[in-house]
Amino acid sequence: MTHSITLRNQIFEMHFSGSLFWVEKSMLLISDVHLGKVSHFRKYGAAVPQQAVQQNFEALTSVVNHFKPESIVFLGDLFHSSLNTEWALFTEWVKTISAEITLVSGNHDIISPIKYEALAIKVIPELIIDSFLLTHHPEERDGIFNFSGHIHPAIKLSGLGRQSVRLPCFYKTEHQMIVPAFGEFTGTHTLEPCDGCEIYALLGDAVLPVPIKEVKKKRNYRK
Amino acid sequence: MNREKLYDIAEYWFQEQGWKPFKFQKDTWKAFLQGKNGLLNAPTGSGKTYALWFPIVLNYIKNNPDYKTKHKKGLKAIWITPLRALSQEIKQSAERITLDLDTQMTVGIRSGDTTTKERAQQKKQMPDLLITTPESLQLLLATKGYDKIFKDCSAIVVDEWHEILGTKRGVQMELALSRLKNISSQLRIWGISATIGNLEQARDVLLGMETQVLENSVLIKANINKKITVKSIIPKKMETFPWRGHLGLHLLEEVVPIINNSKTTLLFTNTRSQCEIWFQKILEKHPEYAGEMAMHHGSINKETRVWVENAIRNEQLKAVVCTSSLDLGVDFAPVETVIQIGGPKGVARFLQRAGRSGHRPGKESVIYFLPTHAIELIEASALQKAVKLNTVEDRMPYLNSYDVLLQYLTTLAISDGFYPKEIYQEIKQTFCYQALTEEKWQWLLNFLVMGSQSLQSYDEYKKVEIEEDGKFKVNNRGVAMRHRFQIGTIVGDVNIAVKYQKGGYIGSIEEFFISKLNRGDVFTFAGRNLEFIRIKEMTVQVKNSNKKTNKISSWMGSRLTLSAQMSELLRNELYSSSEPNKNQSAEIRALAPLFERQRRDSIVPKPSEFLIETFKTRDGYHHLFYPFEGRFVHEAMGSLLGYRISLLSPITFSLAFNDYGFELLSDQPIDIQQVLDNDLFTKDFMLDDLQKSLNATEMARRRFRDVAIISGMVFTGYPKKGIKMKHLQSSSQLLFDVFRDYEPDNLLFQQAFTETFEHQLEEGRLRLSLERIATQEIVWKQCSKPTPFSFPLITDRMSREKLSSEKLADRIKKMAALLMKK
Repeated sequence: MTHSITLRNQIFEMHFSGSLFWVEKSMLLISDVHLGKVSHFRKYGAAVPQQAVQQNFEALTSVVNHFKPESIVFLGDLFHSSLNTEWALFTEWVKTISAEITLVSGNHDIISPIKYEALAIKVIPELIIDSFLLTHHPEERDGIFNFSGHIHPAIKLSGLGRQSVRLPCFYKTEHQMIVPAFGEFTGTHTLEPCDGCEIYALLGDAVLPVPIKEVKKKRNYRK
Repeated sequence: MNREKLYDIAEYWFQEQGWKPFKFQKDTWKAFLQGKNGLLNAPTGSGKTYALWFPIVLNYIKNNPDYKTKHKKGLKAIWITPLRALSQEIKQSAERITLDLDTQMTVGIRSGDTTTKERAQQKKQMPDLLITTPESLQLLLATKGYDKIFKDCSAIVVDEWHEILGTKRGVQMELALSRLKNISSQLRIWGISATIGNLEQARDVLLGMETQVLENSVLIKANINKKITVKSIIPKKMETFPWRGHLGLHLLEEVVPIINNSKTTLLFTNTRSQCEIWFQKILEKHPEYAGEMAMHHGSINKETRVWVENAIRNEQLKAVVCTSSLDLGVDFAPVETVIQIGGPKGVARFLQRAGRSGHRPGKESVIYFLPTHAIELIEASALQKAVKLNTVEDRMPYLNSYDVLLQYLTTLAISDGFYPKEIYQEIKQTFCYQALTEEKWQWLLNFLVMGSQSLQSYDEYKKVEIEEDGKFKVNNRGVAMRHRFQIGTIVGDVNIAVKYQKGGYIGSIEEFFISKLNRGDVFTFAGRNLEFIRIKEMTVQVKNSNKKTNKISSWMGSRLTLSAQMSELLRNELYSSSEPNKNQSAEIRALAPLFERQRRDSIVPKPSEFLIETFKTRDGYHHLFYPFEGRFVHEAMGSLLGYRISLLSPITFSLAFNDYGFELLSDQPIDIQQVLDNDLFTKDFMLDDLQKSLNATEMARRRFRDVAIISGMVFTGYPKKGIKMKHLQSSSQLLFDVFRDYEPDNLLFQQAFTETFEHQLEEGRLRLSLERIATQEIVWKQCSKPTPFSFPLITDRMSREKLSSEKLADRIKKMAALLMKK
């Protein structure tokens, strides 16, 4: 269900939902939920099934119940666009949560911070805890390990018989980890593996470290 | 003025040009003036435009005897053309008549190229004769008070109806006609079509299912017998000719003498990227053609295309490499020879292309077929027979396209609004929606108004509103504006304009190709080497580059398949390889070394045999099946068989198809004996299994793309204003998943499956071929390495289908992310 890694003597648990739990701080990191996206589309005449709205809140509740964190940090793009009726659903949801909530603001977060503050949610551009930096866009800074979202990373796996599968993933390089998008109806962006990176794919009900195989460009068949 | 006098006017005009009207032209004049509807079957360049422009003008003269001095304003006739590039030419022929006969009639064009100023003028005062496209006609229905525009319209002519018929633009046309019939009381409906297998049906679809309209109609055939000579370009050395490939560059030098011996040669390629490559390579090897050779395809900017077309007419060009963009219209007298590169996948298309040469009456058409790989020579041989027998394909019209209907209803709602009762009666008369139940109709209305089937809390869905008197109307300006932009996007991928950084439009390109490029990459497009700089607001900025590149712009395009008749001809050609030499065509004889090689490890099947080959390579275990039934039947049979095998034990397949057979590739071997023992080729439960296999593969997912765009669920963005709409862009893939998970009974989601079923899998033909296989002896060859027949299939990397009955977790265990080492 989860997979743990240790970074700078701290333990992080990756959850199949795409969220990341910082054990020592009891802090849950969630990125790119894009709440309100379905309603936004519907408002503009694209009839995306409304039932998908509920799924986001159910998934949020279930992951909070699992880790029972003291604080929750959203790594940006919590809301997809301007205010719509999903804000009311979000307000309801926040009431059920006892943990302290912070939003590290992303490019989609255009809703006024005042609205968030009314719900006791802090909105900040970035968050530094010890030698860890939490941002929406991936960043590189000396001596610092960065957690970010924004990319909606996915990885392509290949096997014998020309088989391939694309899965959302946690994408870790030496000083960086990009967290997958949490939200329903958000899409992914496939990344190539790189030298020294570690990739953890989301399987629906598990998190799996992905083996990386070096290959040379294939030759064609000969007659 | 009586009819005889009117004919005299027309005949006199013909005499003045030194021409004589053909019988089909006179027949059409007569039928039109009698008030009949009809379909005229005539090829391009036969004088079909005069067959219909004349009676339209004569009818005006009849109704306005003082036509020379007084001008009765208002729209009299609409001419629909599928390609806006043709409208100029159609306008010229109309103007010739209106001017020469001293009428004061005006002729105008309305298409995507028409300026806003011109549009506004037309809105104030429509020209008498309007030339437009199916999309622009829909846009007219989206203007307020459109009924007044069409009130006195006497005729609508749909040109090149065969090209529109089997597409969703055809459905768009059916819907527009169903409306026009009811608002223009004098309307005659006419279509012009090249020869297709189902001409009668083509007429029914055009005119609709109303018996009155159909009974008052005619089908006129031009019967112009043209001599067509087909010549295959046979490689001199079969041993070095490739077994696979789709470019055909091996035979480039064979093309040179053909070009040199004819005034102008058109080289038809099947894709735009192939067109780009051939153009490059010929110039590279034969720089002497520089300035005398050009390229023409749909993504090159309009000015260049028009220049090329004029240069052909003025005999300035020796050769033009082109795609289907030059299939239609435009009379190119200087073209003496046509070369088809690669299988045209259709006799009708092949004949049409052949007809581009020797355009003058009495001249013969010459077409060369250039095979791109060895097995295509069998196709070449079959094509020759098909041309002799004139076995042209059917164009299958769509049924129950909910997406197009939703688009149409929104169109009506943004202009004057509509009353469902009235419109339901109208659309029930169309071919496409003749079987639409009231229940489904209600579903669609609910969807328009609520975006679902019942009101939901916290919902802000906004599109069509119901006014107090029951009228369905769009009152939101944003909805209306977005919809207008959407009307034109009935087909095609997201296109991005390619421009120089300093400005200057070069053409348009599909997003999927650009998404693979990085800054600094050089690619070939429109015959130039361009360096990719960046994407900005839906345009690709580039600059010229001198660097060499192997990246050639490519387009997905649609895949075509062999018809049933053509497949049969193909099989017969193949079988003839076992017969004595004298019974064989030159192509089959030339293939002798390939057949010999095929027989070394396997067989060339006889009519009584069905061949299965299996072997292993480093890619996995290959299982090949050769029904020779055309690509679509193979897609169906491959999915069906793959699905049935996957029920025996958990397995994952990668499937490849072509016109000759299909491949099931897996990481584990299939026991073919078990397949035979379990009778997996049976036609029992075929429909049921096929439906289930559809869920297991991704075919419907791909179909869903068009459905989502046409019905307005995926917004493709405003041309050149793309950036503002970014928050409304989503991929249809994402949408497909959401529907699958939350609303699988949605009619639009279902439509993707029905369409795959009806338009891609050809269930009827699948049944017949399974029956045929049941009578054949199955020959299973376990080969040590790939055979010539298998080659094009196993090397197909692009268009593969997946099917799996394994758990994802189990599959993943055998996989890895690949890190490319340079």
